[in-house]
Amino acid sequence: METNLIVEGLKFMVLGMTMVYLFLMLMILVMKIISTIVNKYFPQKKIAPVSIKRAQSTECKTGNNDAIVAVIIASIQQFRKQKQ
Amino acid sequence: MKNLIFVLLTFFAISLVTNPLYASSSENSVQTQKVAKTNEHVAQSISVMFGNFYKSTGIYAFLNPRDGATNALGEPLSKFAQSWGRVIMILITFLLFYLAIAKGFEPLLLLPIAFGGLLANIPLADIIGHHGFIGTLFDAGIKNELFPLIIFMGVGAMTDFGPLIANPKTALLGAAAQFGIFGSLVGAVALSQYTTLFDFTLKQASAISIIGGADGPTSIYVASKLSPDLMGAIAVAAYSYMALVPIIQPPIMRLFTSKEERQIKMVQLRDVSKLEKLMFPLTVLMLSILILPESTPLIGALTFGNFARVSGVVDRLSGTMQNALINIVTIFLGLGVGSKLAAEKFLVADTLGILALGLIAFAIGTAAGVLMAKVMNKISKDPINPLIGSAGVSAVPMAARVSNKVGMEEDPTNMLLMHAMGPNVAGVIGSAVAAGVLLSIFK
Repeated sequence: METNLIVEGLKFMVLGMTMVYLFLMLMILVMKIISTIVNKYFPQKKIAPVSIKRAQSTECKTGNNDAIVAVIIASIQQFRKQKQ
Repeated sequence: MKNLIFVLLTFFAISLVTNPLYASSSENSVQTQKVAKTNEHVAQSISVMFGNFYKSTGIYAFLNPRDGATNALGEPLSKFAQSWGRVIMILITFLLFYLAIAKGFEPLLLLPIAFGGLLANIPLADIIGHHGFIGTLFDAGIKNELFPLIIFMGVGAMTDFGPLIANPKTALLGAAAQFGIFGSLVGAVALSQYTTLFDFTLKQASAISIIGGADGPTSIYVASKLSPDLMGAIAVAAYSYMALVPIIQPPIMRLFTSKEERQIKMVQLRDVSKLEKLMFPLTVLMLSILILPESTPLIGALTFGNFARVSGVVDRLSGTMQNALINIVTIFLGLGVGSKLAAEKFLVADTLGILALGLIAFAIGTAAGVLMAKVMNKISKDPINPLIGSAGVSAVPMAARVSNKVGMEEDPTNMLLMHAMGPNVAGVIGSAVAAGVLLSIFK
């Protein structure tokens, strides 16, 4: 007797859709667990101020603000000249 | 005296006439000596030489198909495939050029595929043979499924999974849209069961139905494993329909949703920390190792590319993956897939079946995604606009843009793009999982 291809196809469908849903549902579950852990123990808010502080401290260390301002002024003047 | 002059003139004239004759005969003798020395070139009259040259031209090959001829790979060729088949295929590649250039249908892939198809239909040149350059590209990266995986790496490096991490439940929409794959699989076997037109085996039906995943590399990967002969048609169908997403999807989306549903506004997505983004590719890879090792080549390449992107310390590598590497491999992949557009492979009734089934797969996937989103909207406490369900078919980022566009037609202030990116990237993972299931069945 010949196997019924359609029944085979339907079996594939049941297996495939179950696996796809199972996989993605597991993924959602694990992602939720990870996000609760991450937000509880490594909250993002702490990271943000640190990076800002670092940026400020490097500015202070360099102390070349005058030079930078001079460069900016010069480039603006140059730009205006070119425009004219 | 008069006589003497006459005799002299005659002698002079004769010598003038005969001299060239002597010279040419001596040249001839030199030539025959040369021929005798090399023993290869047989002296031929010029008409025979032109005749032989004509037989090595494309015109002769098109006009005079031979019985029992074989293609560059040693497979038999029908007379039709040698003559009209090739002409028709060349015209089809011109049509693909038109679609790629004038209509902008996925030109990055359709153009190389079409040019590869053009080269594959040149008679006598054997470009797609094992020693031809396209044949070499095919053997180097498509036969062994290398190129689709490298493309997947680039896709991973280009994709931001942030929207999915911020709203994980939209991944279910990416799962629902894979219904298109399995729906068209049943359709394909039903066609071969009840009609005499097509006769797809289960393997072939599976390879065709993966078009519904709307993911070019996955389609090529599965086709090269399950039915390499149908790859040309499958790749062309997959990329054409991906390009046609803005035309195929909106009518289906409007059909299954009401005006009020299309106007639903969704809650703003939360920010995602870098640590979460780093954990995501590892999570997905671990799950696929545990549940579905068969799909780890695809998911492994995808997550590697993404991991390199979010790590932030290997910008050079991730930059190469999303630009130079993916571009180079796209050229190779396109030309190699084009070699399957040879007349003897493409001009068969199966191709029409593949094009039709691919379209059905796309439509079913879109509808399933939208319906799933409607169900989720009823259950979930945060509202979900059903329009983002259609983005569950992969086709990143085209499908998400379509969701956004249809949403904005109803309410110009409703930005759905980022919300639709969630199901969109989940669809990529979903179709990789579906591919893994199909491959594991036939292992």
